Amino acid sequence: MIQVTGLSKSFEEKTVLQNITTSFEPGKTNLIIGRSGSGKTVLLKCILGLFEPDSGTIVYDNRDLTAMKQKERKLLRREIGMVFQGGALFDSLTVEENVRFPLDMFTNFSGKEKLKRVSFCLDHVNITNANHMFPSEISGGMKKRVAIARAIALNPKYLFCDEPNSGLDPETSTLIDNLIHDLTKEFNMTTIINTHDMNSVIEIGDSVLFIHKGEKCWEGTKKEILSSGNQALDDFIFANKLYAQMKKGQI
Amino acid sequence: MKILYHIGRYFWMLGKVFSKPERHKMYGRQLIHEIDALGINSIGIVVIISLFIGGILTIQLAYNLMNPLYPKTLIGLGTRDTLILEFSSTIIGLILAGKIGSNISSEIGSMKVTEQIDSLEIMGVNSASYLILPKIVAVVFIMPFLVILSIFFGLLGGLVVGPLTGVVTVPDYIDGIRYFFIPYYVTFTLVKSIFFGFLIASVPAYHGFFVQGGALEVGKASTKAVVNTNILILLFDLILTRLLLT
Repeated sequence: MIQVTGLSKSFEEKTVLQNITTSFEPGKTNLIIGRSGSGKTVLLKCILGLFEPDSGTIVYDNRDLTAMKQKERKLLRREIGMVFQGGALFDSLTVEENVRFPLDMFTNFSGKEKLKRVSFCLDHVNITNANHMFPSEISGGMKKRVAIARAIALNPKYLFCDEPNSGLDPETSTLIDNLIHDLTKEFNMTTIINTHDMNSVIEIGDSVLFIHKGEKCWEGTKKEILSSGNQALDDFIFANKLYAQMKKGQI
Repeated sequence: MKILYHIGRYFWMLGKVFSKPERHKMYGRQLIHEIDALGINSIGIVVIISLFIGGILTIQLAYNLMNPLYPKTLIGLGTRDTLILEFSSTIIGLILAGKIGSNISSEIGSMKVTEQIDSLEIMGVNSASYLILPKIVAVVFIMPFLVILSIFFGLLGGLVVGPLTGVVTVPDYIDGIRYFFIPYYVTFTLVKSIFFGFLIASVPAYHGFFVQGGALEVGKASTKAVVNTNILILLFDLILTRLLLT
């Protein structure tokens, strides 16, 4: 479990996050949603330790990230898998080498064991016959799946995804969502997904946190979201005509 | 004041670069890759430029030593000493600042804007050390060899062009390059090459590592990196010449 308490963050004079308190449970896909510029990426980066919060605490299973020394943070980060918006695969490495990278860096596995683990991870994300291809030679959807395979290579306890289905077609998008959801259940990870894709919310949002103007505006489940009664959340969701029609019962 | 900020941040980055590596084996693998990519791949351009520099120097020296009272051996001697003392280290340094420097800056800069560096950090890898240390070690290691190669091919350029243009005969040129040889000059140029190698790798790495924005900013950072490296090479050339030669 990851617990965030009273987290605030400003850049120079601009306050981006204000007094965010929430928790993310294991075995669930926890979604952070909000408009572009609402502060959700800053929140994710604060939780990851890439940005230092001005105040507040971030606790990973009783370990306070904000009070940790660099060495302890490094150790914690080995328990974290991250899927970036663009995949962030290493351009100079093949698909197989990308997935093997964390194993080469942090394990004492033999070559055979590493290859077995790489195959296991790539099988889980349905990547076949692409081991020796470079990131520039594969599609956007495949890049995301390889990024997921790399993120789970070290069997992480925490999985973070920053807009994992941006730029993907609806079918591939659903596939990626379901993949993350299934992996979360299978490995009992604490998964946090940063998104503004309402399809993801409806498909896999076990727990949803809505950030509005840098503040926590609403929290609940995908079942509660359509009838939240929260004006800012309604404005965000029902800006999409499809969901507006759903609410009116036209669909 | 901004320059002090950059100097401070440069040394902060170097502190991160020279911290203990996570896994020596991975760094070793990277080092071999960088020696090949940055060093071995530069041999061609070093050879071509050195041949031309040697040839041009020979013709120019011959033009300036047309007085029959000057022995023709001075042409070979002048070519040799100019190559060893200045051209083979400084000119090659400036050329490689363009070739290797822009390569390093754009590679690291692209990794930065596509979040590959963030990805390394989140994995718990010291990205500065993993990406930059092998490049610095590779360039510092390979630069003296490239300078020696440049001296050899510069002298060869003079040997080919001098007799071909009729400004000096082969025996006079060879006598000249063997006359009054001071081995310390080679030590001096090798010391310079090590300093230049460090600058060629570390300054562009700094510009790439702290780039913010997109492809346009990566290009700008690359240009800045080359310009700043060239200025620093000339500054250090001056300092080292004053310290080691006078």
